[in-house]
Amino acid sequence: MAWSRKSAMFAALAIALYLLGLVLRNQQLVTVAVVLLSFLTYAAFRTTHADVASSGRRIEDAESDVGIQLQSIVAMRKLSSARVFEDGEIDVVLRIQNRSTLSKVLEVRDRVPEVMRIKKGANYVLMELGGRKETEISYTIEAPLRGFYTIGPVCVRVQDAFGLFHNEREIHLYDDFLVFPKMEDIKDALIKSRVPKIFTGAVNIRNPGEGSNFYNLREYIPGDPMKKMNWKAWARSGKMMVNEYERDAVSDIILIIDSRSVSETGPVSRNSLVYSTRAAASLAQYFLSRRDSVGLVTYGDEIVSVDRDTGKKQLYVILTKLAGAMAKGNTPLKVVTNRILPHINRGSPIIIMSPLEDDPTIIDAIRDLRARNFDVTVLSPSSLEFEFDARRLDRTGYEVLKTERDILISELRGLGANVMDWEPGMMLSTALAGARGF
Amino acid sequence: MAEDIKTEGSSDTSHLYDGKTIRSSAPSRKKAAGRLKSSTDIPKDAIPEIHVPSWIESFFGGPIVSSMKFLPANNTVSTLQMASAGILLLLSFLTYIITPVSGTAWFSIANLIGIPIIAGIFHLLILAAGAIGGMYGIFQRDQRALLVSYVMLLLITLRFAGSKVEFGLNLLPENEIAQKFLLILYALFLVMYFELTSGIIRFSMLDTSIRTGEVYVMGEGKIISQYHRSIGITPIIAGAVALLTLLINRIIPALVGIFDEVAASRLEESVELTSVYGVALGTAIVFTVIATAFAVNLPMRIQNMREGQE
Repeated sequence: MAWSRKSAMFAALAIALYLLGLVLRNQQLVTVAVVLLSFLTYAAFRTTHADVASSGRRIEDAESDVGIQLQSIVAMRKLSSARVFEDGEIDVVLRIQNRSTLSKVLEVRDRVPEVMRIKKGANYVLMELGGRKETEISYTIEAPLRGFYTIGPVCVRVQDAFGLFHNEREIHLYDDFLVFPKMEDIKDALIKSRVPKIFTGAVNIRNPGEGSNFYNLREYIPGDPMKKMNWKAWARSGKMMVNEYERDAVSDIILIIDSRSVSETGPVSRNSLVYSTRAAASLAQYFLSRRDSVGLVTYGDEIVSVDRDTGKKQLYVILTKLAGAMAKGNTPLKVVTNRILPHINRGSPIIIMSPLEDDPTIIDAIRDLRARNFDVTVLSPSSLEFEFDARRLDRTGYEVLKTERDILISELRGLGANVMDWEPGMMLSTALAGARGF
Repeated sequence: MAEDIKTEGSSDTSHLYDGKTIRSSAPSRKKAAGRLKSSTDIPKDAIPEIHVPSWIESFFGGPIVSSMKFLPANNTVSTLQMASAGILLLLSFLTYIITPVSGTAWFSIANLIGIPIIAGIFHLLILAAGAIGGMYGIFQRDQRALLVSYVMLLLITLRFAGSKVEFGLNLLPENEIAQKFLLILYALFLVMYFELTSGIIRFSMLDTSIRTGEVYVMGEGKIISQYHRSIGITPIIAGAVALLTLLINRIIPALVGIFDEVAASRLEESVELTSVYGVALGTAIVFTVIATAFAVNLPMRIQNMREGQE
């Protein structure tokens, strides 16, 4: 049982009046004090009745509540979806059961992540819940920013009618959900743009593999499927021959995201990392839909990579990694390129999304990539613009830094990289078209 | 396949963060060099808007503190306002009739300077300030005015008194039990005034929160009727406990009288037992019993019994 400020003040007042009454031999004061104390005592007596207990999904938490005698309030939660894209909505239904025979006045607050917005309904409910009854609280939250989130715990409070004392419990009921970065459909935009596609499309590479185009003939090896058997060649040569096909996939596409702490410069919803993750998600979707193989590397305090693969599953793997990308550390790009270069096919397109700030190794790293004949595209969300828009950077400072940035970009372009200075208002497709259109 | 995945809603979510937490990583040296001034002030937009309730708000409002000004009073609040106003009028009258000016600090000062009438005027002024401040606080829902009213109504009772009950008016009963009833009635009115006026603020906050969508209420009628029920029951219980305490000078002799009538009659005539110290003894006895009930966890046991009933 917890005291409210009101009850504490009442108690203090009662004691003070009581003592003053004794000192001043004033029965009037003593009487007021006694009535106040009686009032408080009765409220405390009633509130101790109104204890609540909890049960939830996590068993270890529920076990810790064994000492509580009244396991009468139970909560269950259901989410409409555990995975949404940014700006998506999740419907939450919280069911509260009162397993006791007594009616209770409850304050229930279902804790939602701070960045979420309650779009419909309320997660804070004051209710009278009858004995052996249950009720449902429904609300809709909007998820404006990518990430891993948890709804819960459910806070339940019972207090006396005068708000003097209360009992509070947290029902350890948690539901996790994932917010993927928003994706932009870049396909149509690229077709309409001056440069039809950023890469020339699904170009077959000259390696045998699972595909549809004929590559060559070879002798049969036990284990080869019979459908690959070339009967005419067998008849002609007298040896069992099978067809080999070319791999359909293009050379692997590697997306590199700068998630160093500097990439989060700017407002929460408008910074380089937010733009980069959205761009990476859009590009991954685009390339994977073309049956390309896409890999992802994020670097901040450590280098995290998703191995190249194709298909829808790969898209979700990439989206999940993007959802969890945190701005941390200051690993230089050169370290990243040194680490990944031995593992990627020469000539693969590499798309780097970085604000190009606070990293003296950028030029070296890109020079290395270009020297090995990688097709390098740099999409650079400009944190200067974010800061300038948020009025944290004055005009002179902005101009100076902008000039420095332009020089760096020119230098990178001089190395043969396609670089786009991505301004906040620009759509991804426009930025990409610009990057390839120079 | 992958094309099936669609994004929803508008693309710009920046409006959700207007005035909210803005995070920024460590500033780059290049940027710092580019700035004209090197102020280390926290940008205004970096401070999240959190409404921290003032102590007055939390005293009156409890856990639900509306972040905006009260909306016009609803039925519940209006009823409480009318009840509080009625209680305040009665309380002011009771305070006037049972609180004499004698024994107060201002009475001593007025006598000291030789103008005793000042004490009476000052006494009335305090009472008027309590009543008028209270009325203003009730209808304007002004928490500070209510607090001023509380202080005034308590201040006026601070006086050095004799061992016996003294009243401001001579018309009042001489009978001891009637006097104590009157005192308890006064104390109850005072406590109910505190409670009802804080109820006005609490329900105003709740109503505002409901109407602005901060909180949703299920079974509002039942919650309010529970409050009304408590408002009816609690003063009766508190009054009964106080009466037991105040009448201890009657109860103890009655109990002793079962065994020894002479000792009982001596106790009845005891000055200490009829004075404020008798009340102190009564308080000690009654609250010892109550404390014992809490010590043996009686409320929880009663609750268990009730919860166990099918």
